[in-house]
Amino acid sequence: MAERNDPTSSGFTPPTAGGARLSCNEAEMLCLKAARGAGMSWGLAEEAGYAARWLYARGIDGPGALLAHLDWAAGRPWDAVRPVAAGDLRAHDGGLLCPIALGTAISDTAALGEAGASAVTGPVHRPVLVLPFLHAIARGSGRTMALAWAGHRVTVGPDGDVWGDVAPLSALERAELELCHGAGAEKEPPRPDRAAPLSTRTLSRLDDYAMETTVPASASSRADAGSASGDND
Amino acid sequence: MTRRSANSSDLAALRRPPAEVMRLARMGSAHPTRLSFLRVLLRRVARESWRFDRPLWEIDANGVGRAVYRARGPERSYCLVAFAHDLPDEMRSDRVIATAWDATFALFDGEPTAADLDRLAANVPLQEAGRIGPSELCLSRANRSVRLFAHVVGRLAEGRQPDPAEVEAVGYLMRTTAVYGSGKFGAADRDRIAWRPELAAPFQAEMLSVWLTREFTVDIVEHLAATRGGAKAVRLDSEIKCGLGVGNSTGLGMAPFLIRHPVLLNNWMAAREEALARVRALPSASPKETAAFHAALEAARENAGLWRSEHPVQVAKLADLRRDLGRIAARLGGWPGAEPRPWDALWRFGKALSLEGQEALLSLLLEPHGELVDGLADCMSADEAAGFRVDGKMTVGALRALLERDYDWALAFDFTEARNAARFWYVSEEKLEPRLGDRFDEAGAEREQPLCTARLACELHAALADWDPATPVAALLLAHPEHRFMVRRAQILQTHPYAEVRDNLIAGDMLPIDLMRCKLAFFGASRFDPRSDRWVRISLFQGEPYPSEMPKGAVT
Repeated sequence: MAERNDPTSSGFTPPTAGGARLSCNEAEMLCLKAARGAGMSWGLAEEAGYAARWLYARGIDGPGALLAHLDWAAGRPWDAVRPVAAGDLRAHDGGLLCPIALGTAISDTAALGEAGASAVTGPVHRPVLVLPFLHAIARGSGRTMALAWAGHRVTVGPDGDVWGDVAPLSALERAELELCHGAGAEKEPPRPDRAAPLSTRTLSRLDDYAMETTVPASASSRADAGSASGDND
Repeated sequence: MTRRSANSSDLAALRRPPAEVMRLARMGSAHPTRLSFLRVLLRRVARESWRFDRPLWEIDANGVGRAVYRARGPERSYCLVAFAHDLPDEMRSDRVIATAWDATFALFDGEPTAADLDRLAANVPLQEAGRIGPSELCLSRANRSVRLFAHVVGRLAEGRQPDPAEVEAVGYLMRTTAVYGSGKFGAADRDRIAWRPELAAPFQAEMLSVWLTREFTVDIVEHLAATRGGAKAVRLDSEIKCGLGVGNSTGLGMAPFLIRHPVLLNNWMAAREEALARVRALPSASPKETAAFHAALEAARENAGLWRSEHPVQVAKLADLRRDLGRIAARLGGWPGAEPRPWDALWRFGKALSLEGQEALLSLLLEPHGELVDGLADCMSADEAAGFRVDGKMTVGALRALLERDYDWALAFDFTEARNAARFWYVSEEKLEPRLGDRFDEAGAEREQPLCTARLACELHAALADWDPATPVAALLLAHPEHRFMVRRAQILQTHPYAEVRDNLIAGDMLPIDLMRCKLAFFGASRFDPRSDRWVRISLFQGEPYPSEMPKGAVT
């Protein structure tokens, strides 16, 4: 029977051409598995899936951003891409931060939701992936949050609406960010609620990572997966 | 105290604790109740006077073609689009990995145009290899019960009714082998439809799809019989028809669901346990309720008599069930007496029964009390996003205390012992389906799925020993992201006490069918018939009215 959000049920195979429009659930599960396949822990991979889905549901190519990040992060140790501490949002060596590591760090402590709080980060890879975590803080605190860089700004409300320089942020490869409250920003009309189809390349590369979570079947597991008797009865 | 209200501390004392409820052996003895999802659907369509018809039937003499079944509710319509195929016997498999079926289906949101039907015709028969879209809520397929299907068509074509013994031995004309919803293969996401009252409870679209499929299974045998027998053919006797459900064949794919959805699992269990506590707290048993209990027991005994299985585990459980239902019947002499809480007295009597008997008694106790418990169905869905965020401000000391309180059962396992880690859950590369491997005989354990909750809890607990209790969990997770998955579960369990199965899911003697039965019982399944320890057949809607028979009296 139907499995809601079940990453372990029989999955879909990406098309060989033309891309595909995924449901949000499919996008999340593909990204979760891809993040895990690329080496993230299960708990972080869940966060990566959540972030990619959040963006995809708002017409932003979260799965594409995640793919770019996973490609970049391949082989880099966790301790090199995570923030030093909740109160020190830079990588140890001053290099690029993983946006999922940064996002979970600020979401876990929720310190940014407190009155008057703000933070400046070290350079972040694919910073659009931080937005969903700002929404988690906004929802928890009831305060509008904003992410600013180099004269640009994107704002996210407690209800999950997002506005501002979204397109530049989607394309942004890296930036130092200012994370602050977004009070006073004038809300723009909501964005379309469905993303464009994901490209064949994005889908197949994410699927390549996702397949790293699977195991070649053995003869015994194959046999055990079916009924002990026939189905022609 | 009014008759209908017990105070909350009374209820809390009567609620079974998670340590008792959330054990595999008990979950694997679950019975459908009036809170089961198909019952929730049937009550709604009766209450709201939904209308059903079949606007399209284009099936040829070989049983190939398409049909549409329409369900019209007060606000919206839904249509089951059915495609009937001519499937050679050698291609018939209940496995998720099959590539062809006797019939394939989509539940359409609204009423499909001719263009929609053509689009679906190009995709639905392909199932996983096709794509559906946000206008579809479910994708499913079904295979014939070869023996019974052929028997029924043959008999009806000759102008005779089928042999009741044959009908009872199988119980359905077709069985579904997967019913996908919630965004699978491009279908509408759950959050697009969950706000609709008729789809708010869990799995309502899936239940509607299966119920309409049941109508199709009868229509197609009657169609084929009429084609073959001409004027001689007869329609299926209504009593025999009532006894036919829709079969379902389910493998390991379903088992991980309850582990992957802890908040949902909690809400299902908590609603059922609250219902039991409310009934136990009642100070009296009215004659009407008493009669309803007797009727439910009679129906359960009849069902247990007809329930067939050849699996040794289920054969033993069926013997327990039949014996225990007899004991309950015997106990009813002189009941209700002068007990201050007559329903609780019955429940406490049942403590001496087998797990199968106890869980059957739970279901029976809820049956006379729709007014008291049916509203709990509104609490059975879940906003999983709300429980997703980790509370990083919790201290390591508090997390450790939580683990020691709620995961004491897990911390008791020694995972250096082979039997405690004998298996691992994985997803197969070739078919993308969940499977269970032998850790010490098969390769691939490094790609294990995180269903080994007891071991993860032990690993987290051990890691916490190295940290100052005053440290916020956020700091631990920054250094050790490998524990994030388990920290989230432990924090969910803090506020959702029934969220975790309190058994070791990688133990050598773990039975996956226990997880499957629990979930299927919440759907409303009956006649569980395991075909191995990881494969089970069931029946849905057996004994219930058909869509075309609605409204037919009050459905309760």
